[in-house]
Amino acid sequence: MTETPTLSVRNLRIEFPTRRGTLVAVDDVSFDIAPGEVLGIVGESGAGKSLTGTAIIGLLEPPGRIAGGEIRLNGQRIDNLAREAMRPIRGKRIGMVFQDPLTSLNPLYRIGDQIIETIRTHLPMSEREARARAIDLLTEVGIQGAERRIDSYPHEFSGGMRQRVVLALALCAEPDLIIADEPTTALDVSIQAQIIQLLKRLCRERGTAVMLITHDMGVIAETANRVAVMYAGRIAEIGPVREVIKSAHHPYTRGLMGSIPSLEGTGDRLTQIPGSMPRLTAIPKGCAFNPRCPHAFDRCRTERPDLMPVDHSLAACWLVAPQTAEAPQ
Amino acid sequence: MTGRSFVEVRNLSRVFDVSKPWLNRVIEHEERKLLRAVTDVSFDIGKRETVALVGESGSGKSTVAKMVVGLLEPTGGSVTIDGVDMWSLADAEKRQALRRRIQMIFQDPYASLNPRWRVGSIIADPICAFGLAKDRAEIEHQVGELLRLVGLDPADAAKYPHEFSGGQRQRICIARALSSKPEFLVADEPTSALDVSVQAQILNLMRELQDRLGLTYLFISHNLAVVRHMATRIGVMYLGRIVEISPSEELFRTPRHPYAKMLLDAVPDLAMTGRPRKMVEGEIPNPISPPPGCAFNPRCPAVLERCRREVPELSATATASSAHAIACHAVAEGRI
Repeated sequence: MTETPTLSVRNLRIEFPTRRGTLVAVDDVSFDIAPGEVLGIVGESGAGKSLTGTAIIGLLEPPGRIAGGEIRLNGQRIDNLAREAMRPIRGKRIGMVFQDPLTSLNPLYRIGDQIIETIRTHLPMSEREARARAIDLLTEVGIQGAERRIDSYPHEFSGGMRQRVVLALALCAEPDLIIADEPTTALDVSIQAQIIQLLKRLCRERGTAVMLITHDMGVIAETANRVAVMYAGRIAEIGPVREVIKSAHHPYTRGLMGSIPSLEGTGDRLTQIPGSMPRLTAIPKGCAFNPRCPHAFDRCRTERPDLMPVDHSLAACWLVAPQTAEAPQ
Repeated sequence: MTGRSFVEVRNLSRVFDVSKPWLNRVIEHEERKLLRAVTDVSFDIGKRETVALVGESGSGKSTVAKMVVGLLEPTGGSVTIDGVDMWSLADAEKRQALRRRIQMIFQDPYASLNPRWRVGSIIADPICAFGLAKDRAEIEHQVGELLRLVGLDPADAAKYPHEFSGGQRQRICIARALSSKPEFLVADEPTSALDVSVQAQILNLMRELQDRLGLTYLFISHNLAVVRHMATRIGVMYLGRIVEISPSEELFRTPRHPYAKMLLDAVPDLAMTGRPRKMVEGEIPNPISPPPGCAFNPRCPAVLERCRREVPELSATATASSAHAIACHAVAEGRI
């Protein structure tokens, strides 16, 4: 029997109507996240990874809108809910962690008050119970002396500590899904390691599904079970993290991996992908990656590839299509 | 060391006064507050060499970079470039001549280009300022050459910065830095604001230019993998001091200082070798009230009583090569 995925996204399409025509920022994106699974979403700036996240929690800023597809949380459709109906879901069933922990916290309120308010919005608890729970949560995310620190203001915490508080906020109503958008990008490496360990432990213990959006392949390699690589608003490749990192099928993923300098590196030239990601106004015909692809042939320039199964992954590339004889090098 | 190095940094220090105004101090009975951003930093850079400084936020690496190029006056120590002291008054005339030979590349290519200037004027500015061209035609010719050198089109000179992507803007910044025909470039996190595939393009470009033009780099970064790729020698900074300085290869093969080890262990494992990422407890202390003794002692696994009292000196050890210096009591005593 197949389990219902915590999150299921089907053919999601996000559009921005502008005076000069409609821009398609996210196109035909589909994926599932199982309970307790960490799905990494990687891509460069403008690939549409954060937009996908904001669309799922229903915080897409107008004029951006979901133009097609559906989003289901535990089988319940949530993309067409009214604002008021979405409110109890956001925060209670979907927790969110943003990149900058300072802007996610209100500087004028003590962190305890912010956590207690969130708990009481979603759970029927008295002030006293909520406070006890807030202290438990802060202890759980690794803040020492939580009884004392609960009455501090955000500016009294360091960046890493603030991100722990934000994580506690996201967890306070026991959500089924956490969307973490670049949770470690603003942090130093040593602090980054601490936050990642924490995120992994929490979702293992609680069975929370995590959608981890980041541009950092290293973070994905350590944290995620599966990874989706996005390029120009579409998923280029999705599969188990080890397969995507070690033996990628899509030329873009291979280029991306090659361009990361490694600690074991030889100091040779880095592989570089020529050019840059196309603007939304000028997405090339056929495969969006074809002008930069070293293996592009005629079909890539005319026909857009859909995701095709290859090994344990799916890749949107004509090179992996069964009828294509030539194998990628 | 034999002879003089191209760039010599000796006992460089910078203290910032972050105290409240005098009246508040008197009324509130507060002491003066001093932030020691950089303390006693010394290193050399040879011609055509790339020396990198790594460290986390607040370790003082950017402050060192600013003092080396002359944007910030040191409170102690000296920077000598090709025999000329950057901050002594006696050398004022020579220093002016030296300015042309030093340039800087900044982190944010969006903030470091004037949005109201055309790219051509931005790149031509140093040429005009130093009087390196006779007439307009020659300036235009040089700007075109520079744009071609960094992989852009000479026709791009007529465009404005907003018409370019982040990576292209960083190329423009590099072209501007190269326009005064410098020998020494200081790059402060030149790729941190860029995507990885663009970062690869910029790093490759900087390496190519170094080979072609014989440039010397001081490279500041928080990213160890980037530093490993670029540098011949690496200094690891912690709370304003260099804790370990070593040839690049050696640092990555055998890091000695507990902090350097910790930094290396904290890098995510992309090769997926299953190497467990070691957890580091704690965070960088506040530089206004650093812990006594070795600044790393509250987080150090090999801490002893002496580390809490005495600041360790940067010194070579018997077990490492002569170019490898470590500031750690535990290493000096042979405990680790």
